[in-house]
Amino acid sequence: MIETNVIKDKAAQANGLWNRVGDQTNPSRWNGEKWRSFVDHLNSRGVIVHEALPDVSVFVSDAGGLALGMPHGIVRPFSADEIAEVLKAAQIYAVPVTTRGGGLTTEGESVAFGGLLLDMSSMNRVLAVDPVNLTVRTEAGIYWHQLAETLRQDGLDYLSAPLNLTSSVGGTLGVGGIDINSPRLGCSADQCLALKVVTPTGEIIECSTTENSALMERVLLGYGQFGVIVEATLKIRLFTPIIMKYFYYSSLRTAMEDLKYIAHEDAADYSGILTIMDRAINLLVAFDSDEREKEFNLRWRRHLRGYGEASFGLRMAGYYLLHPWKFREAAYLIGRRLTLFPEFWKPEYMHKGKIVDRTVVFSRAVWKFWGGRKMVIPDLAASEEKFIEAVERGNQVCRKYFRHYTLYCVGIKLFNSRERYEMSCIPPDAGDIAFGCEFEPMLRDTDYSRDYLQSFKNEIYDIGVDMGLSYYRFGGMMKGYIRKAFGDDLVDKHLALKQQADPAMILNRDVIF
Amino acid sequence: MKTDKAIAVDVLIVGASLAASAAAKRLVDAGLDVVALERRTLPRDKVCSGILSPRGHRFLVENFGPLPEETLHNPVSCRGVTFHFPSMISIPMDFDGGPTPHLHRKFSDYWTITQSGVTIHDNTTFLELEDTGKGVLIRARKEGREIRYTARFVIGADGPRSAVTKALYPDYQKSIPWFMVGQKFQKIIACPLDSDYFHFWFHPGLGHYTWSHERNAQQIVGVGFPAGGNLHTMHANVEKYLEEKHGVKLEPAERLEGCTHNFGPSLINRYIFGKGNVLITGQAAGFFNMLAEGMSCALHSGAIAGEAIVEAMQRNRPVQEVYRTLIASEVRRCTDQWNPVKIIFGNPHEADFKTAFGKLSRKEKVTVIRDLVDFLKIYAPYNWGRQILSQSCIRLLRGEYPSNRWL
Repeated sequence: MIETNVIKDKAAQANGLWNRVGDQTNPSRWNGEKWRSFVDHLNSRGVIVHEALPDVSVFVSDAGGLALGMPHGIVRPFSADEIAEVLKAAQIYAVPVTTRGGGLTTEGESVAFGGLLLDMSSMNRVLAVDPVNLTVRTEAGIYWHQLAETLRQDGLDYLSAPLNLTSSVGGTLGVGGIDINSPRLGCSADQCLALKVVTPTGEIIECSTTENSALMERVLLGYGQFGVIVEATLKIRLFTPIIMKYFYYSSLRTAMEDLKYIAHEDAADYSGILTIMDRAINLLVAFDSDEREKEFNLRWRRHLRGYGEASFGLRMAGYYLLHPWKFREAAYLIGRRLTLFPEFWKPEYMHKGKIVDRTVVFSRAVWKFWGGRKMVIPDLAASEEKFIEAVERGNQVCRKYFRHYTLYCVGIKLFNSRERYEMSCIPPDAGDIAFGCEFEPMLRDTDYSRDYLQSFKNEIYDIGVDMGLSYYRFGGMMKGYIRKAFGDDLVDKHLALKQQADPAMILNRDVIF
Repeated sequence: MKTDKAIAVDVLIVGASLAASAAAKRLVDAGLDVVALERRTLPRDKVCSGILSPRGHRFLVENFGPLPEETLHNPVSCRGVTFHFPSMISIPMDFDGGPTPHLHRKFSDYWTITQSGVTIHDNTTFLELEDTGKGVLIRARKEGREIRYTARFVIGADGPRSAVTKALYPDYQKSIPWFMVGQKFQKIIACPLDSDYFHFWFHPGLGHYTWSHERNAQQIVGVGFPAGGNLHTMHANVEKYLEEKHGVKLEPAERLEGCTHNFGPSLINRYIFGKGNVLITGQAAGFFNMLAEGMSCALHSGAIAGEAIVEAMQRNRPVQEVYRTLIASEVRRCTDQWNPVKIIFGNPHEADFKTAFGKLSRKEKVTVIRDLVDFLKIYAPYNWGRQILSQSCIRLLRGEYPSNRWL
């Protein structure tokens, strides 16, 4: 017989016996208590719960591929009412509910460690497009590429969305969403005008900046803690092909300084840095119109210190001739250049030197060259002042762990000090603009243990704690870092709000609290 | 013996210690049906210093949550390690990232295995297994009654004297050197040794592994030596030395505990990872950090064994191939601790020896190096030196330790 009650639930660590090393980021599986009663309750109200192994096992992990967990069952809702039924019952039976859109999280935020998983991808209709006021009302389970497809029919476009485009609108609004136009437009969540939300207790509430605005501010960038986003009204714009330009650097610092300069001057409609390790740094800028490009060429281009491709190629050739023992690295750079870059000017997506649809081009390239069975993309979000140091420190960690990796840096415009920014991916000390950097090893077919990859991520995240930064991760799982990053007072304030809104603590409970 | 119908599971783990818990955690999370066999009644005692490395501490918290009070001895934490040398030079080093817990293995192991969510069959002794290629048939015994299991995979996480290893490789355990490690618990009359630290002596006259630290108002004095030696004689020698040289005065021992360890495979990259559908992990596989801290690599290697099975099932790949690929990172981490190239040019340990060493005067540095060389000479009979050097060179050139030395 196993003795029971040998270990009481009193945590020595929480009593401050030594420095906090983090929290449980890999949650314990929920024990299934009252699951059957919960399912019976839902069935009696016409909600179908899928429990068969083939149904639930497809959700065993997320895009990160490291966190493992299996829901007891899943619901594919088709209405806010159905979600309300689920959440009301979940409060009664204390069953954890995890929401999932595209499952594009990397730290297990959309993985259910037991309990019910709400597969929001079933709610994927575009409800109304207003080409006059330039807004769209859509169900929140829709993926960005589906939304783009619908908008294109009317010559319209979304404002900003994560480049992978298989994340859902609802999931993105809950965590941020960064595009290469974020230095001008802010994160995707800042494009949102109104929401329909089902609260953790099952109330269906419309909210906007004028109606139930407090809830709106809680839900946007709220890590799914304060409600399930069912519908969203987003700002949109007229669709335009874009003109891309590339500048090449061998110094990461110089490239970052130029990126900051471009963001500050509002010199381009799109800007970002993509690197091949810290050897070949590509600062890309793009424009929605010929006028903007012309203005850039006249006013700002001469201030940038990047090279054109040919002269950069010559410099690199010189470098590797002097460092012949690094021939493997040189071969990798050349191979990457030959295979990756043509993706951005494929003739079928170009017209008169412009990329006709960045949605297709970027998302194709992202999945083809950065995607993989496992996606390890720890990131840091920093104020302008701390940005360069944060990236340089992160770069050293990448060097230590991997031979091949990419850094992706982009600015994020902030709109005053919105309530939603508090305890979010937005760094607490950022002014008008924040900067983020993703540190992505090129895993491809190589096999690393989860443990090794976790150590790498921890070292990146520790930089954030050390420097007082934040994290703009795909899903915003900050559970292991949130108290270290934001301090107990702020976290406890939000925890109290969460406990008030979600008495049984059932909704996405393992994400940050 | 009467037998019942075989119990069918996805994975059977032999052992219920930290490696078993970590493996179970990965497997249960992935929705697999897993049973852990433990020959004793849980919770059970375990001979161990209980001083966990920072990496192990982090793993425990990230995977199992904040440590309950019952899982800790007093003092509840350890600040670092102090090295003592025959020349009476002492070098204290704090652990990277702050103090680490002083685990009460009886309850910490029980806590982790129950937290993992695995089904525990304690009081059940593993007897033998047969790998059919498609799965494994296992025989075990509980209270005189035979129990049979069928599993797709088996993980042997049953410590240095692993019964699973013996079942797979009957002659292996006879082929490696064994060390006896014993510790006595004595009430303190006077002890100038800093109770915040784990103390270790590089002294060839004391033993191959000599340590002391405080636990629950008693001082533990421990010594390790080749199996076959006399613990009481060795221990008396250490106790006398500590009294004469460090002023440690202790009452007669109240309790004695000891066990044998397979100290060696991790130094020379001779791990044993199993075959077919049977994986060996933790200390059974040979993982042992420097200073004989086996808990952190048990946790990490156990987790990798679990991950390998999930990966093999998801991708329909041979489990041994997956395991041996994934475990390479833990091999690097563990064997790097003994690698002179890494020690000189890197920092493979979780306490900064190089910085502490750098604070010594030039004369003291020379003395410490001389003491270290004298100490290492007692390991000469095992012929590990040449193997460590060759493995270090391969690591330098290829970035990996060769896997062809693994069993």
